[in-house]
Amino acid sequence: MALLVLIELSFCVIGDSDRHVWLRDSYGPVPAELSDKGVSWGGLVHDRMSATLPVLGLCLSGVFLVGYNWGVLGARLRRFHAARLLSAAFSAFACLPGFWFVVMVAIYSYFHWQRPGFANDVVVEEGPDLLSWWNACILALPAMAAAVGWQIRAVSGVLERELSRPYVRGLFASGYSDEDIFYSNVFRRSLPSLLALSDRTIPALTGSLIFEYAFRYPGMGSLLVESVLLQNYGGIIASSLWMMGWVSIFVLIKDCTVRFLKPDWTS
Amino acid sequence: MTNRRQSKVTRTTRSFLARLWQMRRVLLLIIPYLILFGWLFSGGSRMDVRPGEIYAVPGNPAWESPDKEHWFGTTGNGADLFELSRLAMASSVSVAVVSVSLGIGLALLVTMLFVFDGGKKRFEMLNAASRAGFLMPSMAVLVIFTGGSGGSLVMAISGLIFVIAFHLCPVLTAWFDEGEGGFDVLASYALGLTRREIVMNRILPKVLRRLIGVFAVLVPVVVLVEMALSFMGLTGDRLSCGAMIAYGQVLIIEAPWMAIYPGILASLVVMVLSLLGWRVSAALRTGNIPGIF
Repeated sequence: MALLVLIELSFCVIGDSDRHVWLRDSYGPVPAELSDKGVSWGGLVHDRMSATLPVLGLCLSGVFLVGYNWGVLGARLRRFHAARLLSAAFSAFACLPGFWFVVMVAIYSYFHWQRPGFANDVVVEEGPDLLSWWNACILALPAMAAAVGWQIRAVSGVLERELSRPYVRGLFASGYSDEDIFYSNVFRRSLPSLLALSDRTIPALTGSLIFEYAFRYPGMGSLLVESVLLQNYGGIIASSLWMMGWVSIFVLIKDCTVRFLKPDWTS
Repeated sequence: MTNRRQSKVTRTTRSFLARLWQMRRVLLLIIPYLILFGWLFSGGSRMDVRPGEIYAVPGNPAWESPDKEHWFGTTGNGADLFELSRLAMASSVSVAVVSVSLGIGLALLVTMLFVFDGGKKRFEMLNAASRAGFLMPSMAVLVIFTGGSGGSLVMAISGLIFVIAFHLCPVLTAWFDEGEGGFDVLASYALGLTRREIVMNRILPKVLRRLIGVFAVLVPVVVLVEMALSFMGLTGDRLSCGAMIAYGQVLIIEAPWMAIYPGILASLVVMVLSLLGWRVSAALRTGNIPGIF
């Protein structure tokens, strides 16, 4: 509902369009600019989703594997401010404009590998399609950089807050080893809080899929941008709903897991 | 025997100097900000420059690759790309500063509407709205809003203001709730101060102090967002590094520097702003702000 209000507000109230979201005529078949194969909306979403899922898969793997592991390591080595050091590389990389990075990769591959660099230039027809994975990696890198940096600092922050509680000093005074205190007590106690962080970066990650447009990658992010530029409500609604559905599933999984671990949990 | 009691002027001066000493880290950080902003805005503002015109390729292009005279090379019309990139960054930073300031102001205004209510569920409506809005990526909202409304700078700034305010409201509510639990607030209640006095004199100053850190952290992020929107052509025909890269990528083969160098300058400026933002945030103990974009 909020999405429809946003579209109506942007295109009809503020913009100069006279096609209201509630009119059936405002929606039509897939325009040729979005797909030249003559597919239906379902087919288009399926094609675009299949292209986007590897990008999101790589992003999520990076955020969860690197973010959580390095965050725990940062808290473990807190005396050396390891969380800041470990997240510095990702935070620095996040300062590059994502769209510029993907354009740079395209230029580099054109001049140094003598092949067109953008994602829609070469299609692999035979053998393993490593090129599509390469393209997905190029898009996943700028999308996940900021998220990983944030996740490392957040995970480390949660653990460091737990480490500053009085019971930790008590355990230390009664002769527990550092490892025992950290992994068996502090880490275990802060597990629900750590899991609660898992969905905080998902909307930003999903939003950064719009860089697909810069790399001419035929995914859901580029579908959104192309639909907005073409003023096509069908494409806007399909891509936005897909993004919202993706975030909702993650939030649901996170909530269920945290409630299972700690039934009295409040965010 | 002299009177040891200090005069009012001496006491005021001493307390003022002590306050300055407490704020020394933040004050030192103002110097690099002034240097950066001074350099960016030293050439003045030229909002009439259109990237479509300066990136137009004439029949006999006069572009030059980067050399000692033109660090970033020149465009087809012979314009210095370094100077244009600096102007573009000044424009992006201005947009970010305005958007973030107004976004923070709007978030504070909305939150303040609920703060004076003493009930425990006073922020419930705001937090529920925030939880629902969390599901829609902010970048997608901005693309739809700016694209649908015609793609102008005013609309981009308005969209940024609303998105920032929307996502900052729950952060501010959490800080106000946190402030309510302080010992000084409990003591103020015990002494019989009114809720208005407590909020205005005890809780609000702590929140305001942290907002400076939020501003410093958000500005580089919004610069990146503004450049991404202008890359997609959603902020009007206006000079911005995003638009310069978008026009420059068409000339990859003939003049690759037109897409490469504006991005390098943009990355450097954003990196410096981010570093300063983290230092300001650390000095004011703002805490980890959730990612908006």
